[in-house]
Amino acid sequence: MLKNLLNTGIKSPAQHLLLAANNFNAQQIRTTFILKRKYPMLLNKKNLPPRPLRARDYVYDLIEDTNVKKHPDVEVILTSYVSGIGKKGDIVKVSPSYAYNKLLLPGLAAYVTPQTVEKYVNLDDSVKEETYSSPFALRTMNMIQNKVFSIVMNQTHPWVIEPWHIRVSLRKAGFNILHDSSIELPKEKITGPDLTIQNKGFSVVVTINNTEKVEVKCKIHHWTRDPDIKLPYVFEHYKLPVEPIPGVGKPESLTNTIDK
Amino acid sequence: MFDFITNYASINLLPAIFASLFASIHFHNKTMLRKSLNLIQVYSSNQFRQNIRTLYVSATNEAARKGTREKARAKKVKVEIKKVAFVPFNRKKLKIDMTNKHIDDSWKAIPADDVYVGKYYRWRVYTAPEAIEAHKETHHPSMYNEPNAPLFAHVELNMQGEKVTRFVENFYRIAPVQHKFDHGQERTILVFTKGQENIEMAKNAGATYVGGTELVKDIQNGDLLLTDYQYAIAHPNILPDLLPIRGLMKKKYPNPKNGTLGADLDEIIRRFQNGIQYSAMKDENQKDFGLITAQIGTLDMETSHLEENLASLLKDVNTVRPKRAGKFITRVLLKSPPSKEQLKIDPFVYVDVGKPEVKKEVTLKKSKKRGRSFAKSVDEEEVVEPAVKEAAN
Repeated sequence: MLKNLLNTGIKSPAQHLLLAANNFNAQQIRTTFILKRKYPMLLNKKNLPPRPLRARDYVYDLIEDTNVKKHPDVEVILTSYVSGIGKKGDIVKVSPSYAYNKLLLPGLAAYVTPQTVEKYVNLDDSVKEETYSSPFALRTMNMIQNKVFSIVMNQTHPWVIEPWHIRVSLRKAGFNILHDSSIELPKEKITGPDLTIQNKGFSVVVTINNTEKVEVKCKIHHWTRDPDIKLPYVFEHYKLPVEPIPGVGKPESLTNTIDK
Repeated sequence: MFDFITNYASINLLPAIFASLFASIHFHNKTMLRKSLNLIQVYSSNQFRQNIRTLYVSATNEAARKGTREKARAKKVKVEIKKVAFVPFNRKKLKIDMTNKHIDDSWKAIPADDVYVGKYYRWRVYTAPEAIEAHKETHHPSMYNEPNAPLFAHVELNMQGEKVTRFVENFYRIAPVQHKFDHGQERTILVFTKGQENIEMAKNAGATYVGGTELVKDIQNGDLLLTDYQYAIAHPNILPDLLPIRGLMKKKYPNPKNGTLGADLDEIIRRFQNGIQYSAMKDENQKDFGLITAQIGTLDMETSHLEENLASLLKDVNTVRPKRAGKFITRVLLKSPPSKEQLKIDPFVYVDVGKPEVKKEVTLKKSKKRGRSFAKSVDEEEVVEPAVKEAAN
């Protein structure tokens, strides 16, 4: 009976749907290959039918496979600050996949159209948003905050901590500070050599591009070449907790912001 | 062959075959000759297989001439099997660092902020005075307290010669210094000169041993050992007398190219005594990478003096430059232990960069052999390109 039913030749509407289901999400197939004949073809004789093609006339060099061609970068307009990319209203060029997955889908950017440009480029100054002085300022802040920098000071020669000591120590650790003026020390003087403050810490404030203020944690390490008084090496010292130096507070700008 | 046939062939068919053979020879008919010869082959292979006996025609069984085999035995070189010490299988393959030692970070961004994380950007390029000052900071009494630490220049070279497959030889030189410093090396200098004045001058300049023609005899007798002296310097007035010991001196024989021969003995001896001794060595695995590490002074010297010493070192290195386009000195770093900092400086303030390298364009000249039509199509492409560019603009 079933056999009879199938042989009637009448298809139910569901069958059409099932057949079509394969193509619902179909992508464009890029099958264009740019080729070039490897061997030149023979010229045709006048007033005669064209020559038949020889086997070698089907041999080609591949010039370009459009399926694996790199797509050009796309322009998008940022709808908010994106670390490492730019601030709100910036029109940036990024790779298509990055633009789609990391910017357009999360809603951090929009395609560049007259409407979006009008919406995001000509910003009202009245609407204040969290922005940073440069696309990379936030990254620098995050990285510099999460570290404790060793300030290597002499074990025998007297010293007082100055901003340039901090700058040099951070330079050795791979963080460049171009001006001493962007470093703010605590009010209290830190002097040495003093083994009671060995491995103890204090905070300084670093100002990025004269705008962002970051607290940077530092700790004192005493160094000497004299093997008799040299301090023993502490394994993975950077993983140990750091006690603050007694009697040394935080820099002024930091305490002010906390009060606010 | 005919022996074979007469011995074993049945007589019935032979006359016919021979008749055709002779006829073919008589009429100069090549095809007929070939056919008749084939016939003989077939005849012999098919008909008389059972009767075939092996024919011994080679000379292998004959005795070799007396002494031939012995000669052959003597000729054989004994291959000694060297015993190799046991190497664990995991150490058999040497791990060689194949990464390019010419570091190019030009793909990285240039920092725009005044506080930045170094690893995301190109190396900071200091001017030489800035870099020296930076080292002086780390060696300040309050920090490392090593104010007279040595300052080293780490010069990286592109050792490629005029051809891609040729490389500049390792070289050992002495660069003159404007401001002398304690290099901590003992340099022994032998000076040949005539005249009391010159001898006095050489002694004052810092020569280890000075002498005239009498030294030639000492060297010949073996009383004076050349191996005790690193450098031999001579005044031109004694050169004819040195000829007998030219073979003994070998590379130490004074010549103007090395700067070991000259009339101004004072300047030469001072250069050899105080100059910057350096050697440029090619990397073992990367032949186009050369490295010089040379001391240019100590940190307690004045910054400008250190800079001048660095300049004279770089200028001296650049004299070895091969005649090709592109950079020879590729990168210069300043180091000063115990600090591990390496500060990059721009060497092209002191030496020429060299002509820019021209990359050869790949042309499709091969295809021209193939025919005219293809060559035409290449031309057409070239013509089309600018038009496409315009359209794109």
